[in-house]
Amino acid sequence: MAIITISRGSYSKGKEVAEKVAERLGYECVSRDVLLDASDRFHIPEVKLIRAIHDAPSILDRFKHGKQIFIAYIRSALMHRVANDNVVYHGLAGHVLLTGVPNVLKVRIIADMGDRIKAEVEREVINEEEARVLLEKDDEERRGWTKTLYGVDPWDSSLYDLVVHISKLTVSDAVDFICQAATRDQFKTTESHRRKMKNLEQACQVKAALVDPFFDVGVTAESGNVLIFTEAGDRQVNKLKKKAKELEKEIEGINNLEVHAGVPIPQDAV
Amino acid sequence: MEPLTTEMILVMIMIGVAIFLFIAEWVRVDVVAILMMVALPLLHLVTPKEAFVGFSSNAVISIIAVIIIGAGLDKTGLINRLVRPVLRVAGRSESRVVIAISLTVAGISSFMQNIGAAALFLPAIQRVSKMLKIPLSKLLMPVGFSAILGGTITLVGCSPLILLNDLLEPFHLRPFHLFDVTPIGLALVTSGIACFILFGRFILPRGSMDSAEAGPAPELRHALEELGEPYELHTPADFTHYREPVVVEDLKRRYLVNVVGIIEPPDFKLLSPAPEAEVRSDIDFLVYGRERDVRRMAEEEGMMLKDALEVFKDDVSDTTSGTVEAVVAPRSPVAGKTLNQINLQDRFRVTPLAIYRHGETYRAEIGDLVLNVGDAILIQGTWHRLKLLQEERSLLFTTPIDVELMRPEKALWAGLWLAVALTMIMIFKIQLSVSLMTGALGMVVTRVLSIDEAYRAVDWRTIFLLAGLIPLGIATEKTGTAAWIAHAVLNAIGTVQPIILLTVIGILSTVFTLVISNVGATVLLVPLVVNMAMAAHADPRMAALVVGLATSNSFMLPTHQVNALYMGPGRYRSVDFMKAGIVISVVFIVVMIGMIYVVYGV
Repeated sequence: MAIITISRGSYSKGKEVAEKVAERLGYECVSRDVLLDASDRFHIPEVKLIRAIHDAPSILDRFKHGKQIFIAYIRSALMHRVANDNVVYHGLAGHVLLTGVPNVLKVRIIADMGDRIKAEVEREVINEEEARVLLEKDDEERRGWTKTLYGVDPWDSSLYDLVVHISKLTVSDAVDFICQAATRDQFKTTESHRRKMKNLEQACQVKAALVDPFFDVGVTAESGNVLIFTEAGDRQVNKLKKKAKELEKEIEGINNLEVHAGVPIPQDAV
Repeated sequence: MEPLTTEMILVMIMIGVAIFLFIAEWVRVDVVAILMMVALPLLHLVTPKEAFVGFSSNAVISIIAVIIIGAGLDKTGLINRLVRPVLRVAGRSESRVVIAISLTVAGISSFMQNIGAAALFLPAIQRVSKMLKIPLSKLLMPVGFSAILGGTITLVGCSPLILLNDLLEPFHLRPFHLFDVTPIGLALVTSGIACFILFGRFILPRGSMDSAEAGPAPELRHALEELGEPYELHTPADFTHYREPVVVEDLKRRYLVNVVGIIEPPDFKLLSPAPEAEVRSDIDFLVYGRERDVRRMAEEEGMMLKDALEVFKDDVSDTTSGTVEAVVAPRSPVAGKTLNQINLQDRFRVTPLAIYRHGETYRAEIGDLVLNVGDAILIQGTWHRLKLLQEERSLLFTTPIDVELMRPEKALWAGLWLAVALTMIMIFKIQLSVSLMTGALGMVVTRVLSIDEAYRAVDWRTIFLLAGLIPLGIATEKTGTAAWIAHAVLNAIGTVQPIILLTVIGILSTVFTLVISNVGATVLLVPLVVNMAMAAHADPRMAALVVGLATSNSFMLPTHQVNALYMGPGRYRSVDFMKAGIVISVVFIVVMIGMIYVVYGV
């Protein structure tokens, strides 16, 4: 029916909300484990990705174009998981990663600082002040993460369809709201949505296969017709064309693949 | 018998030279003819007047006139209409097409000068070749030979047979009736066509769709194949229900299928529709694409792919529309712009199908590619619109557009003038050249075609080839060479069985008709062979009949009018006539003698 992304901070009950929504709607609940998918799919040591997530994003800068490569991988892995529809994703920047997917309900769950501190104090057995410092640091880190990688501030409420503050409203209220919203007509998956999602999945797959070393290409796909856009010079283009030719055989469902050089990369390209 | 003179020897040498040059092809056959036209008066074998008398001959003038009439009929679409029922019977099979057209032409030429039938059918055969993509060289020779053979079906089918009774009169022999030759003629036509059907692949040149005949150049044709073929589809009545509108551009993006024609309800036919034109329910539309892509589209979008073109059949025929290759020339104003910017679709109503650049084909989203100098764009559209684009001169066309703007509204005039010409020939018995030229003039005056178009339609190769060989025939007769050869041959064989005598006469007539005109050969040989047969106690009428028939056995060299006419358009070489001609000529003599033996019991 729909794809729901839930953005959250730690101890803000976002995970709980996500799991309950998934349970009530009978959806699959997907989390950061897509990263593991990514490491499997693209044969990169898991540890590299996990460190990239847990440590500061600056670690990615240690690799050449690490940022773009990382995003391409994780985006492809995520698109692959949500392509079948009916998914609740709570994890990194789902709302950004799923740009272009038409029927995404974007939710942000926030909670009172006091409640979060209380929860952390209980869990970690530390004093309140320590907990506050830790939470603030964690918030800042996550915010920094999204800002560095995707260039948006996750605290900007205009990114979401729904922001629920868990305080007076309970987790179960939030679940009610989200489920209600998710069943609205606007989020229903139509044939054209399904088509669009399949196209995006394919574009992401091609992009992920090319991103190392062709990090700056743009890819669009429609009904198996894949277009690779690049503004690179001739030598790079020839290499890209060679690689693209191989992909045409490797990736299933490609009907026609063309490399268009010197063309501005369209907005909707991956 | 007369002694052999120097002049006779010179004539024989000239014949030898002509035949040698025909075969060696150091120069083209029509140039050989011109050489004869010049050499013979220089050698004093003919007078200067006789050298060029061919240009004013009945035959040559008739051919010019009939070619113009044919062009007029073609221009008005009458030929198309005539061809369609023939094709309906014949289908797409090459053999059946050859049989159908050959029989038709043979039938017509049995009552009419065979050159007339052949010339009138030339445009029709060219159309068939284009429509069915059968090389012209595979069609013209069988049809041409059938036209010649068809002349033997009745006593008025060709000049030698028309003359025959007059030539028999001095000997007080019983004249032949109109249909006396029919069984023999039919057997000859049947065996001739059968030869082409059975051995066509060995005796006909292995022609390909020639560039000049078939439009696109070979490289382009390959590209076009890669781009696919026209297909017609139909949308179901509920096509637009419960779905987002599908527009032309969507289909191009999703399936790389170009919509080049679409029906706007209720029945307005729109060619090269705009990218945003919607594909509605229960309509027909025409696309260009690879079969795989088109099938995928039909399946995924729920459309019905038709087995053959129906509604748009006439819109994709090579005569009205086609695909051209246009190159972005240096300093072209379109270099550096995208196809979307130059907007061919809106301005000219033509559809760009693909761009070629550095050996690669771009088919998807070509509207956004910035055009570089040297890019080749494949553009589909009606010739009329492509011509307008060409005249804008922003793109360099590598495919010449031979736009023949049809004038269907003149069809009635064209038909009328043909009828007038035929009436003059058949009912009022006015000379062929005068009658046909009247018809041709009538077409020009009533603007079926302009006088310039009429001049352009005439193939000068044919005219010079025919006119140039006439003085050779004159020289052969005038110097007594022909008579000397005939005497020599007939004396040499002495007294033999009638059947062998008839065979020798048949071969002799065949050889003579290759060099001198069939009428000349008949006039020369008939009195000779009649005397000969009387002396050998054979039937003199049969000997004369053999001459009358065998002077149509002119297939080995392009000297017969019909062969000369078809040589240019069919792109035949003398060798091609040799190869097929020897087979047909041998079969001709065998069948003719066999039939005379069976029918008249000689």
